[in-house]
Amino acid sequence: MRPLLLQGHERPLTQIKYNRDGDLLMTVSKDKVANLWYSHNGEHIGCYIGHLGALWTIDCNKTSTLVITGAADNTARLWHAETGRMLHTWDLPTAVKRVEFSHDDQYVLMVTEERMGHKSGIYVFAIDISRPEQSNEPVVILRASGAKPTVAAWSFLDKFIVSGHEDGTLSLYDWRNEEVVQTAKAHEGIITDMQMWKDGTYFITSSRDMTARLFETATLEAMKEYKTDAPLNTATMTPTQDLVILGGGQAASEVTTTSSRQGKFESRFFHKIFEDEVGRSRGHFGPINTLAVQPDGKGFASGGEDGLVRVHHFDPEYFKFKYDY
Amino acid sequence: MSSAELSKTNWADDVEDQEFPSVEVITNADGTKTVIENRLNEDGKRVRVTRKIQEKIVQEHVNRAVAERKKWAKFGELRSDGTMKANGGVATTIGEVVELRLSQYAAQMKQQEIDAAEQEKAAAVKSSKILCRVCRGEHFTAKCPYKDTMTSAEDILGGGPVTAAAASADDSKGGPNAYVPPHMRAGAKSFGAGGGRAGSLGAGDARGDRRDEHPTIRITNLSEDTLEADVNQLCRPFGPLARVFVATDRSTGYCKGFAFVSYYDHDSAEKAIGKLNGHGFDNLILSADWANGGK
Repeated sequence: MRPLLLQGHERPLTQIKYNRDGDLLMTVSKDKVANLWYSHNGEHIGCYIGHLGALWTIDCNKTSTLVITGAADNTARLWHAETGRMLHTWDLPTAVKRVEFSHDDQYVLMVTEERMGHKSGIYVFAIDISRPEQSNEPVVILRASGAKPTVAAWSFLDKFIVSGHEDGTLSLYDWRNEEVVQTAKAHEGIITDMQMWKDGTYFITSSRDMTARLFETATLEAMKEYKTDAPLNTATMTPTQDLVILGGGQAASEVTTTSSRQGKFESRFFHKIFEDEVGRSRGHFGPINTLAVQPDGKGFASGGEDGLVRVHHFDPEYFKFKYDY
Repeated sequence: MSSAELSKTNWADDVEDQEFPSVEVITNADGTKTVIENRLNEDGKRVRVTRKIQEKIVQEHVNRAVAERKKWAKFGELRSDGTMKANGGVATTIGEVVELRLSQYAAQMKQQEIDAAEQEKAAAVKSSKILCRVCRGEHFTAKCPYKDTMTSAEDILGGGPVTAAAASADDSKGGPNAYVPPHMRAGAKSFGAGGGRAGSLGAGDARGDRRDEHPTIRITNLSEDTLEADVNQLCRPFGPLARVFVATDRSTGYCKGFAFVSYYDHDSAEKAIGKLNGHGFDNLILSADWANGGK
């Protein structure tokens, strides 16, 4: 593999995401700018400028016409994807750590930080694609009873919202009725990332407790566990091969105390079903903060604490790999 | 080719007259194209390149939305050259090749790799000279098991630095590990003392010394083409031969003009010198004498 190095950020990456067709790659970092790239050649298309704080999260709708970003300036913003024009700003009490469009693009969820006396919450806003101005009145606000939520995602058919919390628990919300259907203890540490399978029936979580786990959405039943030797920041699943990719490494504050070889800044490939590590891909100089797989399974991208995005297109050998059982 | 061109008798004129440089494209019956190109190559010489080309149209179906998005204009605060103002420039580069070898034994292999690296490290530590100041063992003083019970090497060796010095003095006299030159070794005594070399050497000595066992003559002024067989044939009549050596050039393999022949007895050798000295061989007059200066 010969990765493309996208140098468009000066600060650590916080999230990267492919659009549904896999031709665009969106990246956000702590440097206030969201970038848009072509995934096949790494060409820079543009940047969404307007946020006043570090960006935490980005998502676009299924038709790749709208982009939503969430930032530490206590706002989430809606952008016209093609022109970079800002359409709407939602003002929230605290920083927005995670945004995600629902499967039908009618709603968007926003996870807010717990800070300055404000409780954290999961805000759901309705999106009206016919006009740029959006309602500032949330459809619902889901408040966690225990620890603050760090990540959240839409379930199958947008029926539920699953959230991952700071203390390692998972909650399944019947969001329309604002009630918790199920909770489960998933990890020992903070849940750092949660990525749904494309149909929303199961998802993968990663945690600083050095494990990633696969859960069934409807029951929050743990199906698989992937153990590593480093705190994990992100986990994703590959659609064509039965693999998961995990990324992480030493916490950024501890990096200087370890050599890069011990830092474990590699993307680790595990077999999704047999839970065995099957390969590693090196490259980053710092911990990997975020991973995303191209929806057609032909490549993946990783964003690191080093401010670089590496876009990989798999070699033909990757597709020939078969696990012997 | 036109008839006018064919009528020309001089082929050189034919080439001169052609339009230069020229490209001629002929469409063949089977759908391929033949392109004949006349041009100057890098050395300034005229060359004719004939290429046969088959054109194949490959249709690729892409998502309409993706195709539309490829036409998107750049946006954001971009400079005219495409770099972004806000972040001091955007660059997309191609990184170095990254290996991703998927194998279900990857974890085991990785572990083996780590083990091997550790072993290598341990071996490197071992090979370097580490001497414990306490017990003289092959480890760091800090890791010595006796470091709390003994203060220095003297305690365990039962003597001060004097003992150590004496030990090194012993070594210089020829301890079991000290180097002794060959002529001072026990077996070499007779070599130095005995007057007659041939008689004094034992059977167990090196092969090189055994050459002197037999009376040897040197034949010079041999021709280049001389082979060992020729010399053998030349010297065989005077007595049984112990050894025939024809000096040859290493690179060419030809004779360098001289040879050594050893006989089993002294009389045969003497007879051979008498006959071969001044003997004509291969148009050259040979000269023969004792190999080791008239002995």
